[in-house]
Amino acid sequence: MFGYLVGRLSQAVVVVFAMSVIVFVGVYAIGNPIDVMIDPGATAEIRENLIRQYGLDQPLWRQYFTFVGNVFQGDLGQSMVYNISVTSLVFSRLPATLELVLVSVTIAAVVGIPAGLYAGYRPNSIGAKLIMALSVLGFSVPTFWIGMLLIMAFAVELGWLPSGGRGEVAEFLWFKTSLATSNGWSHVIMPAINLSLFKMGLLIRLTRAGMVEAMGAEYVRFARAQGLPDRQIVFSHILRNISIPVITVFGLELGSTLAFAVVTETVFNWPGVGKLIIDSILQLDRPVMVSYLVMVVILFVLINLIVDLIYARLDPRVRLKGGS
Amino acid sequence: MLKTTLRSGVASLALLVAAPAVMAQDLMLGLRAGPDSIDPHWSTLGSQAEALRHVFDTLIDVDDKLQMMPGLAVSWEAIDDTTWEFKMREGVKFHDGSDFDAEDVKFSIERIPEVTGPMPMTLYTKYVESVEVVDPLTLRVTTKGMAPSLPNDFTRLFVVPSETGMEARNEEFNSGEKAIGTGPYTFVSWQPKGDLVLKRNDEYWGGAPAWENVTRREIADDAARVAALKSGQVDLINYVPATDYLSMQNDNSLETFVSDSIYILNIAPSVKDEEPQPIKVNGVEVEGNPLQDLRVRKALDLAINREILVKVVLEGLGKPANQLMPEGFFGYSNELPVREYDIEQAKALLTEAGYPDGFEIDFTCTNNRVPGDAVVCEALAQMWSRLGLKVNAQALNGTVYFPAAAREEYTMTMSAWGTLTGEAAYTYGALAHTKDAEKGFGNFNRSGYSNPEFDKVFFEGSQTLDSEARKKLYEEASFIAMEDRALIPTVILQTVWAAKADTLDMTPRVDQETRAYAITPE
Repeated sequence: MFGYLVGRLSQAVVVVFAMSVIVFVGVYAIGNPIDVMIDPGATAEIRENLIRQYGLDQPLWRQYFTFVGNVFQGDLGQSMVYNISVTSLVFSRLPATLELVLVSVTIAAVVGIPAGLYAGYRPNSIGAKLIMALSVLGFSVPTFWIGMLLIMAFAVELGWLPSGGRGEVAEFLWFKTSLATSNGWSHVIMPAINLSLFKMGLLIRLTRAGMVEAMGAEYVRFARAQGLPDRQIVFSHILRNISIPVITVFGLELGSTLAFAVVTETVFNWPGVGKLIIDSILQLDRPVMVSYLVMVVILFVLINLIVDLIYARLDPRVRLKGGS
Repeated sequence: MLKTTLRSGVASLALLVAAPAVMAQDLMLGLRAGPDSIDPHWSTLGSQAEALRHVFDTLIDVDDKLQMMPGLAVSWEAIDDTTWEFKMREGVKFHDGSDFDAEDVKFSIERIPEVTGPMPMTLYTKYVESVEVVDPLTLRVTTKGMAPSLPNDFTRLFVVPSETGMEARNEEFNSGEKAIGTGPYTFVSWQPKGDLVLKRNDEYWGGAPAWENVTRREIADDAARVAALKSGQVDLINYVPATDYLSMQNDNSLETFVSDSIYILNIAPSVKDEEPQPIKVNGVEVEGNPLQDLRVRKALDLAINREILVKVVLEGLGKPANQLMPEGFFGYSNELPVREYDIEQAKALLTEAGYPDGFEIDFTCTNNRVPGDAVVCEALAQMWSRLGLKVNAQALNGTVYFPAAAREEYTMTMSAWGTLTGEAAYTYGALAHTKDAEKGFGNFNRSGYSNPEFDKVFFEGSQTLDSEARKKLYEEASFIAMEDRALIPTVILQTVWAAKADTLDMTPRVDQETRAYAITPE
């Protein structure tokens, strides 16, 4: 177990390292951030000074090692655009993304898994066919389009919900979150549903596929023969058996939603990190891009690790061995 | 706890009706972009100046056509070739109650090089040699050489109190601690990419503004901004997209305000001896650079149907342009004719130049810089194909386009240029003058254009303090560069604001700024 953890964490270090090199080289290849930002009227002298001031005249490897050196001292750097530290910039926007993602994955799981179970349990019923048809819509219709439809319907036409932005925040335990106010909920619900649709569709299909397969499996037939009620068979035996792929996908989706909820955040003007990273890319704000992507890598590694630990808990046949 | 929150959330959802009604004293603006910092000396970004103008005043202000008018300085004059004297407004107070005087201006000028960021404000102080406070209401600025455009540069010179201290950086301003200006509003709070909240300054020297509380909310996405207005979340939005503008014309509940902008889409043909991307005839690279021939550039110009660009491509939100600045700007030439569309003459010129069957050329544009840049780019490629050219049009993201354009990798480009200062020196000096790092001219001249006649007239203008005489010289310089097709102007873009009908009144500005204190309730 300990060896396993060490192995996984050292993998993470390699991935973070590789990732930071790729981003650095990529941004370097695009060009000089100063040329994107600078005012048209600036003189060549002003431009040269800036390039020197930000160390952009240094060879790539030296810029990179300066960055790495700073990271080891706990300094992820200053945003070139905002001149505030990248850490405080990201953390000022992270709570908004976290609450949006939390609500949306909850909706996806609470609706998606039971719907998938039902569709797999009664595959030929009308209800199951309806659920499957809707699940196709869930991941084939573009998110921004559904988002716009939701806004047109519930904000513009009916006027029930605000069209975007984050609501009032209030203290809840140690956090300031908009989930603690009713105004906050009215703001979060529409983007959260929008963001959950894709994951919901995916969960429905995965759960259904597992369910259909399990219904024909020997252990289910055996349980039936024993006279166990269906409810017990589905919830204690099948659900546990089919949960491994479901949890894997759920974990990956959770990570990518956290990192890249950008479409929904844009359409609903949600002040999260997704929008921050896109703006940083457009402005070539390299410190923010690199640091943020490094954080994302760490996040993915952590989520994968947790998913693996859950596997071991759910399925006694899974053994966690070092480095595998 | 969570359960009750959930329950109350659901309950409020069911009961919720629209956004809370906004009081007449409050103004909620939905804007495409906001500031990057509350430090007014951090960046030259337009949206930065626009936002911070509410809290800080500039030494000299500009009217809605970008022509200078008194701000914190009531008058200014050149007392000799290298000295400007500014007279300060009397009785102005900062938000903390301290008095404004010339010392604050001196401090602000000297603070800029210390704190400015990658979009440096040193642009506006580059002519300053030294600053001298003669008395609390008189300031003398000695310039490096003759600097007739110094007052123009100072229209972006924001004044902070001299008590601010040289150590204060963005954090102290963002938190509000140092966000002390003389402007019509006081600073309440700000989040990057979020809301800038302002409160009325009842003591404002220009008279207290109409709205007590103003929130400038950033909504970068066009569709989201329009939805926010339609659902009543905001009172006014800027940069309405052309398609929504059309539908708003038929919507009685909304009102639109349209203005010319300072942005003009220009084509820059490279006239270097060897063009960066080869121009070909029948797949073979041609000898020399065809674009060096004025007849070819004229042919390209004549083949552009500007009426079509405006009416069809831009959905009516534009005007044909015949030079690099809008009418009324300092140095706008009235001598230049309207650019006519004449495909026959264009073909004749091209044949005369030795390309009867046209040629194949790369054409690169921005696609996200200003509304309509990508569509105009494609339309131009089609118009030139009627001339017999094979145009490989490519519209790129600014992140890719600008660095490559700076490396002069493109043969022919189109991008928007805005005359931010309202006068010709800024635009023609950067775009049409021969590249000259020493004099600081031609920084954005990526086409290699160089005309000694233009340079001479322009330079003479830049060394003339008398504003009438200077204006004449700049008009002449504009004329030369445009007749030479140094750049080919296409269309002036227009900007649209929208508000709920009959709620407020505003005069749209050519610099596209949305100034809350210039908006009045109806």
